[in-house]
Order: sequence, then C-alpha cells, then structure tokens
Amino acid sequence: MEQEQKPYLQIEQLSKMFGTFKALSEISFEVFEGEFICFLGPSGCGKTTLLRCIAGLDIQTSGSVIQAGKDISVLPPTARDFGIVFQSYALFPNLNVRKNLAYGLENRKIKKAEIENRVQELLSLVGLPGHEEKYPAQLSGGQQQRIALARALATWPGLLLLDEPLSALDAKVRVHLRHEIKELQKQLGITTIMVTHDQEEALTMADRIVVMDHGTIAQAGSPVDIYRNPASEFVADFVGTMNFLPATAITESNIRLGELEIELDNSAVKMTPDQKVTLCVRPEDLLLGQLSDQPSNSAKVAVEGLEFLGAFYRAQLGMEGFNDLPLTIDLPPNIIDKHEIKVGAELAVIFPKDRIHVFSVS
Amino acid sequence: MKDIVSNSIHTSGLPLRPQLSKDDLIQAGGLVLLAAGLLTAIFLPLYVMLSKSFQDAEGNFTGLENYSEYFGTPTLVTSAQNTLTIGVVTTVLVGVLAFIYAYALTRSCMPMKGLFRGIAMVPILAPSLLPAISLVYLFGNQGMIKEVLMGQSIYGPIGIVIALSFWIFPHTVLILTTALSMADARLYEAAIALRASRLRIFFTVTLPGAKYGVMSACFVAFTYAITDFGAPKVIGGWYNVLSVDIYKQVVGQWNFQMGAVVSVVLLFPVVLSFIADRIVQRRQIALISSGSVPLEPKPDKKFDRIMLAYCMTISFILLGILAVSAYASFIKFWPYNLNLTLDNYQFDLMDGGGWAAYQNSIIMAIWTAILGTVIIFSGAYLIEKSRLFSRFRSVLQFIAIIPLAVPGMVLGLAYIFFFNPTKFNIPFTGIELTNPFNFLYATMGILVICTITHYYTVPHLTAVTALKQMDSEFETVSASLKVPFYKTFTRVTFPVCLPAIMDISIYLFVNAMTTVSAVVFLWGPQTHLASVAVLNMDDQGDIAPAAAMAMMIVYTSASVRVVYGLLTRGIERRTQAWRRRESVD
Ligand SMILES: Nc1ncnc2c1ncn2[C@@H]1O[C@H](COP(=O)(O)OP(=O)(O)O)[C@@H](O)[C@H]1O
Ligand SMILES: [Mg+2]
Repeated sequence: MEQEQKPYLQIEQLSKMFGTFKALSEISFEVFEGEFICFLGPSGCGKTTLLRCIAGLDIQTSGSVIQAGKDISVLPPTARDFGIVFQSYALFPNLNVRKNLAYGLENRKIKKAEIENRVQELLSLVGLPGHEEKYPAQLSGGQQQRIALARALATWPGLLLLDEPLSALDAKVRVHLRHEIKELQKQLGITTIMVTHDQEEALTMADRIVVMDHGTIAQAGSPVDIYRNPASEFVADFVGTMNFLPATAITESNIRLGELEIELDNSAVKMTPDQKVTLCVRPEDLLLGQLSDQPSNSAKVAVEGLEFLGAFYRAQLGMEGFNDLPLTIDLPPNIIDKHEIKVGAELAVIFPKDRIHVFSVS
Repeated sequence: MKDIVSNSIHTSGLPLRPQLSKDDLIQAGGLVLLAAGLLTAIFLPLYVMLSKSFQDAEGNFTGLENYSEYFGTPTLVTSAQNTLTIGVVTTVLVGVLAFIYAYALTRSCMPMKGLFRGIAMVPILAPSLLPAISLVYLFGNQGMIKEVLMGQSIYGPIGIVIALSFWIFPHTVLILTTALSMADARLYEAAIALRASRLRIFFTVTLPGAKYGVMSACFVAFTYAITDFGAPKVIGGWYNVLSVDIYKQVVGQWNFQMGAVVSVVLLFPVVLSFIADRIVQRRQIALISSGSVPLEPKPDKKFDRIMLAYCMTISFILLGILAVSAYASFIKFWPYNLNLTLDNYQFDLMDGGGWAAYQNSIIMAIWTAILGTVIIFSGAYLIEKSRLFSRFRSVLQFIAIIPLAVPGMVLGLAYIFFFNPTKFNIPFTGIELTNPFNFLYATMGILVICTITHYYTVPHLTAVTALKQMDSEFETVSASLKVPFYKTFTRVTFPVCLPAIMDISIYLFVNAMTTVSAVVFLWGPQTHLASVAVLNMDDQGDIAPAAAMAMMIVYTSASVRVVYGLLTRGIERRTQAWRRRESVD
C-alpha cells in the first residue's frame, strides 16, 4: 500500500564528513507523508548529524535531500519547512509560555487576535491550557517539553524533527509522553522524524525504524520487522535481547551447534559447508520441550541461574556437551511454577526453526 | 532508485556549498567587519612598530643595527635584567600572599568572608600610580614611617615590588579563589580517611588540585609586573625597567626606533608567558569536566582564627595604602604644614590638564564602556553562534585573545607609529599611501580605540562564557520558526546575558579610568586624561595634587561600581521569575 504513495522526504546518497572523519556514508531512504520515522542507534552513530542535514543546520558533504518534491539540499534552515524539538527543550527562558509559542507567529504579519487563538489552540493540543503566563523555569520538565513541541508545531510546519526529545525526562514522564506525542502526531498527521537511542521508544512510537550504525543504515523497516527479522548481528544485538551462539554450517539449511544439529527454515546468508556462523535466537523464542520426546532442534540443558524480572523469569542454561555456552531463555512465571523449574533442573529446549537467525562470521 | 530524483543527486567530487540565507550574509558581514577591525587595531600597528625597529630615523632599512646598539648599551641591558627581577620577585611575593588569602576565603570558616573578598578587589579601582604615591608618603625621604625600611630607599626595586604587589593582588586572588573552590570533596574525605595530616593533605591534595590555577595566577602576575608603567615611573628612582625605558626613549629622547626595539624586547617574555598560560588553562579545563563534589570547609577554631588575623592584616595594608593617598590629598604641605585643605583638588591651577583631564577621562571611559561592550559582545556572539564559516570563526576566536599578550606601552607606541604619519611607504615598492587613519591622531577616538583594544580579551572571554551557557539550539529554533537571528539576539540573547554584559561594561569603564600605559603616548592637547595628569603632576613634584587626582579616579570607579551593584540587584529582582535555575520537576 505504501509503495503507491509518493515519498514526502527523500534522502539520496547522503554523506557527511567532519574533516577526515566520515560521520555519514551514502545514506538513502524515503519518508512518506504522515509517517513517524525513528532513527535508532547507539550514541555517536550519526543520528543527530543526519537530522541536522535534513534541517539544514549542517550541510552534507554530498548527496541530496528532497522535501515535497523540491531539492532542498543546500538551502539554509530558514528556507526549509520544519519544526524542531531538542532534548534540552531550548525554550527561551526570559519569555513566558505565550511569548514562546507566539515567537514564530509574530514574525508573519498575523493579527494579534489570531495569534492568541493559535496559542490557546496549541496549549489545549498539548494539554496545558492556562499555563500561558508561566516562565519555562516554572514548569516541570515534561511540561517544558510539551511547550517545546507546541512551539515547533505553531507555524504549521510540514515536517517535525525531534532529537531525543524524551531523554532528559524521568522514566515515568517519558513513558507517558511517548503516548502523547504519538497520539498528537496521528491526530495531526504530520510527517515526523525522531532521533533516539532508546529501542523501546523507537519500537513503541515509530511506524518505521531506521537503525543506524557508524554512519550507515543497518536496517530500515517496521518495528515488528526490525525486531523479528534483524538484518545483521548488529541490529539483532542492539534491538532487544538475543542469544549469540557460535556454530558451523553443514549444508545450506543445516548448522552444527556443539554436538547438536540444527535445521533452519531459511537462512539470511548463503552458507557454504564448514563456514563459521553465528546463530541468533531471542530468549522468548526458545521453547520448552519434554526431555523424553527428543523433538528435532532440541538440546538437553541444565538450569544454572534463575532471575525474576517481574513479568517473566530469565533462566541461564548450560547446554550438554557444550561448555560455558551462555544461553538464556525467558519463561512466564506460571510455566516456572507448573514445571517446578529451579536451579539444577534439567530441561529440553527447542530452537524453533522459523525463529532462528544465522549470520556469517566476518 | 526513483527516476525523478536520480539526476539531482549531488555527488560531484567537491563538497556541497551551502546556499547563504540573509542571516548568513549579515553574519558574514559582521565577522568580516570584526576581522578588519581587529586587524587594524592590533596587527597593522604592531607590524609597523616591528618594522620601525629595523629602520633608522629616516626610515631606511638597517637590519639588526638598532638591536646591536641596544645590546651594546649596558644601561639598557641592565633594565631588561631589572625587569625580570621585578617580575620574578613580585610574582613570588604576591603569589604567596594571595594564595594564603584565597585559601582563607575558600577553605576556612572565618567570618566576614564577603567583606574580605570585597576589600581584596579595592586596588582594581586605582591606577598603579596610586600605591606608588602612597609609598612615597610612607617611606619616602620625608616618609611617615620611613624608619621601618632601616635605611633602605623606597625609590627603587623595593618600592616597585610593593606597589605592584598591591596593584596585582586582586587579579591573583580572583584566579586563585576560583582554582581553590573547584576542589573535589571526595579527595579530601579519602585523605582524611587515610589519616593524613593537615600539612600532608595540603601538599598531596590541595596544591596538586590547584596547580594549574596557581600557575595561571603566576603568569598573570608576572605579565602585569613586567609591563606596568605607573609604579616604576613614580617610585623606580634610578632603577630602570623596560616600560619606563620605552617612555624615556620616546618622550624624553624622541628616539622612536629605540623605543620600538625596547618594545620588542619587552614583548618577548610577555608572549612566552602568554603561551604558557594558554597551555596551562587548556589543562585546567580538561581537569574540571569530571563531576566533582564541592568542598565545604569545616570549622576549626585555631585555623580559622589564624586565617582571620591574616586577612585582617592584609586588608589593613590594602586599605591603609589607599587611605594614605586619600589623607595626603587633603594636607596643605607634607610634612611641614599638616592643616587640612582642598587646595590640592584645584587642578585647574596646576599643569597636567586640570579638571578638564578628569572630565575627558570620564568621557573616554563612557565611550569605551559603551562602544567596547557593543563591539566585544556582538563580536563574541558572531564568533560563537554563527551557522557557517567555522574555520574563519576559530581564527577570529584566536585573534581576540591576542591583545592579552600586548603590553600597554607597546600598543601605545605602535599606535603612534601607525596613526601619526600622514603617509606610508609600502616596503620594496616605492608606493606611497595616504594614511586613512591619520585623522584620529591625538583625538578622543584613538584613546577609545586603543583602550578597547588593550582590554579586549578579558571581556571577550566573559562574553564567550556567558554565550556558551546559553542553549546552543536557540538559534536553530529561531531559524526553524523563520525568525531572523538578530531578533533572537535582541529578544533573548541580550536580556539573558545582561549580567555578563554589565560586567563587561563596568570592567571597561574602570580600566579606562585607571589605565596609564597605553594612553600615555596618545593623549593630545585637547585630550588630557586624569591618569596621565597624575603622572605628570607627580613628575613635576606636585605630589599632593597627584594623590588628589588619583583619589578622584578611585572615587569615580568606586561610585560607578556601587551604582552598578544596585542596578544588578534591581535587574535580578525584576527577572527572578525566569532566572531561577532549577525547574520544579
Ligand atoms: N561538528 C562536528 N565536528 C566533528 N565531529 C562531529 C561533529 N558533530 C558530530 N561529530 C561526530 O560525528 C559522529 C556522530 O555524531 P552524532 O550525529 O551527534 O551522533 P548521535 O546523535 O548518533 O549520538 C560522532 O562521532 C561525533 O563525534
Ligand atoms: Mg544525538
């Protein structure tokens, strides 16, 4: 369905050098109208730099930025169409909320009464009516960030840019604001790009995630796609929890894990026999089997540690015939109770063949 | 991938050139103007001076002849040695005195710290001539307590060192209190837990922690001591130093070339000290960045009492020196007629410029404060907050620091060379240029320009610090809202930085009132200055009127300070709604 849409923002072959350091290299992707995109990646991978190139704050060394069909690659920020929110809020401290919100409007020859209407509209949009006389220092962090968001939206921009907008907030406020921002974005239908290093934030808010690594795109796709089918070991590691197990290819669809032979549905990499590979499987994707059954793709393990994490238990397993292999499995409490699993217990775990990812060892 | 865009991909070998917005153009214009201004105010004059040191009186190139003449003249070489001696002795003396004082202010629980902090700053309000004059009254041939010196003469190194120590004291205390208050309490707790003695802690924790601050304070003290002109001029006697030599060569003997040579010789240690200080400060910055726990001094009766006694003694000396000049200015004829009188304030009856000189000083100080603040703050803003031209900006950032390395005497002399001639010969070409800046010579304008240039660096750094504390995204947000940067400058940057801006203007005002060194070459018949009048009256033996004029400078600087304090408090009260630091999270 999205293939039919016209992209609103196109990034083509974009690279950015800082001196001899390549902060971004050959980045290409598209954002569709009304989409919520997250740039996700570890600190220093170039997310902010990419956002700044889109805003015109830094001009890329090569490559293009096209917004609404117009090449804006070298335009200054004043000539582009975007609203922006930073981790630091960047509210003008000496202006009260009303003046902060009206800041961009006053410059546009809009009538006073209309500006006031817009200010009121924005305040109710972010759920803070009645706060117009307060100064930023008199608001809580969460309130300041909402005002910053309202100010960014004040001049009806076509594109909303958010650089780690929630990172400075308490965990509780952060979770709450996540939903609010997402709701607001849906309601307004504004195309939005958010930078974050918090995978949970990206997974819950984004329509599509662009995972970045050392100035390149590691993977772009829907949250489910990124989580379920990571395209590389890096993505698999960065998003969610993952077991990484060294293995050797036997055939194109078979690998050897210690003494165990494991069958795969389909492998992301072309494997040649005896090639070293890494098997990845999420702790929650591993299944418990009956010791007596000996189902395929199953291994006999002993529970070496058990950690209670609230919604589930995380168990450390030791696999027979495979010394010091770190393998964790997540199990719901009622399964733990039912099978009376405790440290020392022996189990069989099944590696479901459709949930296994294999990457070649470079 | 998509046909419509593939032909517009910017992938040619060269980096993309950003398109300039109106904001960028204005900023570029401002930066170019600033660069041109700094170039004209610092580099061209210094260049002309440097080239004069290689010429004879007629302007013919003579290579190193002047220099060999200089180093062949024993009296001149002696003053170079004297200058270094004064520099080292003063630095050690004022360094030790100020360190203990700063230590008391930061590490003891003695009472009245605020008062002592204030008293330590008092010398800033006076020209360096004033302590010298007071010392003459105290220890001179007819001194009040000259017996204390046990036959030694105050005219010479002893007088110079004491006068300079008085005058440099506040600068050193400032740097050292900052350095000592940055201590990390955790280190001290660890040392105490290891049962280290107080002395041991001092040498293993305190000194290393304040190391860079101490070094920086020493460099500053050394630079001030070897470049000052007022103190050695008044009380140096036969003991010659470089700054006075420059003056004598130029004003006494009209030997401008030799003046230039001595300037270069003086420039040498100052530049070295400047470079060393830069290196030290960079280390210091690297040191602070770790999150440390501020140290709260614990009461210790004996120690606090000793510190209090020390600070009272020093304060007594500082205020005493000031009081001597104040008292002397009201005495009819020391030591023969001790009746009180206002005669010494009848400046119009004496040489030196009269009350007009005082008025000129005030006018000069006001212009310096206003113009200087506007130029320095806007300049710092453009350097710090422009979107583009980062390389150009970092060059400017460096240039703005350079005035710190140019002694006032050198700058003043360079200005004569640069502004006095009506024509310039471009070397090796025979081309003659009319000097477009000549009209400024001997005007109020040149005094203001010279003073702003001379004192450019410290306010520039103050402005940069204030600007760095502002969220760097204000400009970004304004651009995204399509508000021109100068609107954000006036509506946000200016009001938020107002305290720093006031600091800058008061600094410029006070320095313009008290400076002697740079302007001593540049005043003209219509532009006598108060500080120069002090010098000239003292030169002619009118020492009581000189003290009176020096006190006028002190009264003026002090009142401006007080008014400034009230104003700041008023501003703080009016803006406290938004100036509160923490939010109510
Ligand atoms: N102005 C700059 N000059 C030099 N290097 C920079 C500059 N801005 C960012 N970098 C470097 O580029 C890399 C990416 O930075 P950034 O985009 O801020 O990362 P992220 O936002 O993903 O944490 C980092 O290694 C950073 O040090
Ligand atoms: Mg970032």
